[in-house]
Amino acid sequence: MGNYSFNGGIVIKNSYLVDKVEIVQASLPKKITLPLQKFDGKAEPCVSVGDYVLVGQIVASIENGFDVSSHSSISGVVLSINTQDIAHKSGFKFQCITIKSDGEDKWIDNKAGNVDFLHYSKETLVGIVQKSGIVGMGGAGFPTHIKISNVLNCHTLIINGTECEPGVMCDDALMQFYPEEIILGIEILLYICGADRAIIAIEDDKQAAYQALLTVNRNDKININQIPTKYTSGAEKLLIKALLDIEILSGGFAINEGIICQNISTIKAVFDAVINHKPLVSRIVTVTGNSVYPNNFEVRLGTSFEHLISMASPNTKEHKYRTGGMMMGIDIVDINMPIGKTTSAIFVNNKVPEPIVQECIRCGQCSEVCPIGLLPQQLYWYVKSKNFEKALNYHLPDCIECACCDYVCPSHIPLVSYFSFAKMFSKQQTIEHDKVNTARERFKYREHRLERNKLERAQVMLDKKKVLKEKMVKEQFQKQKITEAMQRVKQEKDKI
Amino acid sequence: MMRQVIYALSLGIVVSYYFFGWGIVLQIMLGVITAVAVESAFLALRGRDIISSISDGSIILTAILLAISIPSIAPWWVIIVGVSFAIIFGKQLYGGLGNNLFNPAMLGYVFLLISYPLQMSTWPINFLSFNQALEVVFNLSNIDAISGATKLDEIKNSLSLSSSIQQLEIHFPSQAWINVGFFFGGLYLLFRKIISWHIPVSFLVGIVITSVLLWISNVDLYIPMQNHIILGGTMLGAFFIATDPVSASTTLKGRIIYGFLIGVLIVIIRTFGGYPDGIAFAVLLMNMTVPLIDVYTQPKVFGQ
Ligand code: SF4
Ligand code: SF4
Repeated sequence: MGNYSFNGGIVIKNSYLVDKVEIVQASLPKKITLPLQKFDGKAEPCVSVGDYVLVGQIVASIENGFDVSSHSSISGVVLSINTQDIAHKSGFKFQCITIKSDGEDKWIDNKAGNVDFLHYSKETLVGIVQKSGIVGMGGAGFPTHIKISNVLNCHTLIINGTECEPGVMCDDALMQFYPEEIILGIEILLYICGADRAIIAIEDDKQAAYQALLTVNRNDKININQIPTKYTSGAEKLLIKALLDIEILSGGFAINEGIICQNISTIKAVFDAVINHKPLVSRIVTVTGNSVYPNNFEVRLGTSFEHLISMASPNTKEHKYRTGGMMMGIDIVDINMPIGKTTSAIFVNNKVPEPIVQECIRCGQCSEVCPIGLLPQQLYWYVKSKNFEKALNYHLPDCIECACCDYVCPSHIPLVSYFSFAKMFSKQQTIEHDKVNTARERFKYREHRLERNKLERAQVMLDKKKVLKEKMVKEQFQKQKITEAMQRVKQEKDKI
Repeated sequence: MMRQVIYALSLGIVVSYYFFGWGIVLQIMLGVITAVAVESAFLALRGRDIISSISDGSIILTAILLAISIPSIAPWWVIIVGVSFAIIFGKQLYGGLGNNLFNPAMLGYVFLLISYPLQMSTWPINFLSFNQALEVVFNLSNIDAISGATKLDEIKNSLSLSSSIQQLEIHFPSQAWINVGFFFGGLYLLFRKIISWHIPVSFLVGIVITSVLLWISNVDLYIPMQNHIILGGTMLGAFFIATDPVSASTTLKGRIIYGFLIGVLIVIIRTFGGYPDGIAFAVLLMNMTVPLIDVYTQPKVFGQ
């Protein structure tokens, strides 16, 4: 066991922690917009405009093993299928299905309540997870069935209940209200992955959730560990370091070490899918910030941010919206965009003037808090002077963009923006570089081929010539023979 | 942040005022006015925003640090020349805040020390009233009656006249109290987390270890450790000068090395050098080594 901590990071008091955590059911939205999240695969819409759909009905199905299905979260009529903006870091447009509610909330027929998951095969369970549309609900949205299928020698399952972003409370609420479901969900995953043990990591300021889980846990394969409340403890690699004292190498993956991490919300979704036959159509979202009454809402996927925010009674001032977290999240400009499977929180704050950015005074506070042990001010220096190569040497790619350095910088330098820009830029450069290389390789190959062709052709010609020559020699020889014969005949004739 | 540092300095300044009178106030005023004027002129020339640069407080801090480091009865032009030099050569020519290699105040101090050694080594020996200070600073009267050498100088001179340390009866309440003032100001900075402990602590440890080693090697010849700690600008240096973030090392390990070596150098310069105090030289020397220290003290990167 590790020391339950790591270097760097920052402690931010959760200023919006509601004393009594609750989960409020958000009202049904008038319409929903479902982005068809795409990884390398393709989830193709399997409904058309005008179709009537039920809650839980598949509206986009899997074409290959890499993607998950999407389900309607309300009952109603399909309004449109087109590409739209959604709140995603990439800023790309995604294909979306928009459904208008009929206000009835009619569900598909699902036979619920089979607790005995053990009589399913592992493959069947993985299939259920995939068909239920489950992805990692902590942030990255990686398809869960990929993570849990075909794992060899997985020994530890880590359940991330740290929720280290200050102010986010959705996982806390889940653990307090659904401890049994979570423990059962973990048992399902343990069975699928064949891991020897599971560790639930909870920050030590979430006592209620800790106690709730502790009381219902009867499985001695499941440990519940408290770790210090510190920001970035939820980052997968740091969490593994804190819990197991294993350092995942730069560029490596947890599974290489036999470890799988899952978020609490994902576990609950697995439980719902396997035991209740209920696909992923809703999630818990925290709405918080100084402009609203902070609370957790269970909300249907695809509901607009605006609908949810209106439920938290926002004040009338001008607002600034952010989703994900105050630290790692992204700002949203258009609150008509939909809530997705990875939306854990919405921050609604009064707009304040942006602080003035000043010069770096090399105070070193940024390097003190960097959990990765980078030197942000050096990186900043190199990125600013466009010396990307130097920045890469200083391990820029290892930056997890946690924004700890931004948070402490007394000069208000937006360090992370510089870093993500530089990362993107150098990635682009590598791609360009690779392209040039491939082109060069291709060119070289073409030259080579031409040369070879030429040689081959020359050889062929040579061979032909040789054959021809031989033929000629032969012919001549024959001719000569003929003439000789003729002469002989002539001589004979003459003799007669 | 710089403002907090200025507040923290005030305790030591008040103590200095108590012992030496109005001279120090005059020097600070002259220094700050010069600093603002020179900085504004330069920013105007470079077409930068004047208000935001001046309001970050860094040049005012530089001016104050220099003003309290030089003798409070130095003629008026000394501080003006020193501050101008510090800002122009110590800062603006490097491209302004954050880009300078050397601590500007110390650069100004060394410049003055080398150019005007006489004016830089005469200290008042008692409290000066406002009028007296005005007269002295603006060269209106003779300074001999109220000035003398520093205590460190005094000890060194007496030592070279071959009286051993024990024979000297040394009373130096004024400098000791000023050091106490700066020490508490420094604690305030630590407490408010404006500076980290690494530089001041390693700085003082450097002084203690070096002076104790020297003292053990010859009890009669070298100044005992406690005198190094309470005389000269030790506390000012430890908490306010060496901790200047811009010119100090930026890694934690680097800062410990940086502070420690400054402490070592101070004792060596005080003991074997010809100048009254070694802080400015020690700090500038170590400023030069910062890029090297930074390169060799990079923290371990996660997963590498
Ligand atoms: S925290 Fe900001 S000002 Fe301080 S060293 Fe880092 S980048 Fe520079
Ligand atoms: S954003 Fe990157 S550089 Fe900044 S603290 Fe986090 S990991 Fe370190």
